[in-house]
Amino acid sequence: MTNKDAFIAIDGITKIFEPQDRKQKAVKVIDNVSIDIEEGQFVVFLGPSGCGKTTLMRMVGGLETATSGEIRLAGERVTGPDRRKGMVFQAYSSFPWLTVYENIRFGLKYRDDVDKAEKERIARHYMGLVGLTDFAGFYVNRISGGMRQRVAIARTLAAGPDVLLMDEPFGALDAQTREFLQYQLLGINRSERKTVIFVTHDVEEAVFLADRIIMFSARPATIIEEVQVGDHIPGDRTLETKETQAFFHLRNHVLEAMRVQARRTEELERPVVA
Amino acid sequence: MSLRGLFTFRGQSSSRTDAVMAVIAFIGFIGLWYAVAFFGIVPQRFLPLPTEVIAALERMIVDGDFLSDIWISVLRVWAAFLLSVVMAIPLGIFMSSYRIVGTLTEPIIDFIRYLPVPALVPLLIIWLGIEEASKIAVLWMGTFFQLVLLVADDAKRVPREFVEIGYTLGAKNRQILRDIVLRAMLPSTIDNLRITLGWCWTYLIIAEIVAANSGIGHAIWSMRRFVKTPEVMAGILTVGIIGLVTDQLIRYAHRRYFRYL
Repeated sequence: MTNKDAFIAIDGITKIFEPQDRKQKAVKVIDNVSIDIEEGQFVVFLGPSGCGKTTLMRMVGGLETATSGEIRLAGERVTGPDRRKGMVFQAYSSFPWLTVYENIRFGLKYRDDVDKAEKERIARHYMGLVGLTDFAGFYVNRISGGMRQRVAIARTLAAGPDVLLMDEPFGALDAQTREFLQYQLLGINRSERKTVIFVTHDVEEAVFLADRIIMFSARPATIIEEVQVGDHIPGDRTLETKETQAFFHLRNHVLEAMRVQARRTEELERPVVA
Repeated sequence: MSLRGLFTFRGQSSSRTDAVMAVIAFIGFIGLWYAVAFFGIVPQRFLPLPTEVIAALERMIVDGDFLSDIWISVLRVWAAFLLSVVMAIPLGIFMSSYRIVGTLTEPIIDFIRYLPVPALVPLLIIWLGIEEASKIAVLWMGTFFQLVLLVADDAKRVPREFVEIGYTLGAKNRQILRDIVLRAMLPSTIDNLRITLGWCWTYLIIAEIVAANSGIGHAIWSMRRFVKTPEVMAGILTVGIIGLVTDQLIRYAHRRYFRYL
């Protein structure tokens, strides 16, 4: 059951991928999932790879349609992508033919609610927020992968979305950069107070970032458990939070739950011997 | 200038080294040609000295009408090429954007693409006569059908993420095509145009040899009748030089304009 007043209501979503030809079987990737998300909440979708969590997030973005069920954003049914649902991808997250500043500025290109001067001010503001002012004139393939993801985050925020959808945005980065960006994202979100749906299969990342973790089973995705991280790790998080007992306990708990699902995924992928 | 990179497997070399090597290659090539002709390894009636070819080129320009032949050939190539480009780029993009366009046009284009262009020359002359129209048509046939598939491939290779970024920033289909798809595919499409322009010259000479009373191909063919080997070679050389210069200019513009690559 979903609450009528929820900011984002994921209501009884099922997704079946129809086969391309008659020899293949239809694959159910999401099985009757309902989630209510409050405004300003940082929600992490955690699950084994290929479980359908990304598909579900893309549906919130209007980039994928459900077989049954519906998604509502601020009471309005999601029927397609638009500027209210911002998206940060893992790869190809920014345009190589534009500089850092131009990429961020591109986020405002199709807004007609602000004038040109205001667009420039907003773009500069977000460029500063992600700490890239010194790299304004650099083409994005002249900067590091971590900086590129910061460009994508700034561009998406500049568009002024209601919800920020992040599809394993730090998945391709090395461990140190990833940790730094996670920390930066917490800081950015503290000032922006955006509703965020963040997809990952990295347990530590989930525990560190989330207000709320939703754990998905192996395919077809169903919710196996929900964790309110604030109940276990109170207060503002810093990199030191990762050294605390509370963090360890929660991480181990989530890790154990995910291990079971990972094993199930491997079994699903195993070829059937006739 | 380090030369080691030139000899290591998949080594690197600076652009200055590359330029020097290009000059060395040309000098070597002309030197070899000179030697073979000078010592009569191939009779000079068939392989004249490079200096004779240059002298022939001078005669053709000063005494003959070769400059206007060059001019008319260049005009034909560019007219046909631009016609191909303005038709192929929109169609190619629509083929990759809408399945209905792609599925309907791809089989026909693939079929025509495999027809040897010289085989179409007689038919095009019957249809269009021996004036400019048939020559432009030959060149167009030879480039359009290849180019449209190359453009469709370029458009298809634009990452899905780029298009979806556009949608989530509030762009409409038309804006996504103009601001994202076209812009993302531009470097590889310009490269394809450069290669296709080279093919235009091949088909031009064929068209001009078969039916024309002007142009470089016509000049080469009429000199052949009098076995004026130096003049024939001068004509061929001219095509090569025009091709080389155009190609280098486009490459240079490519590097300047797409500095982010």
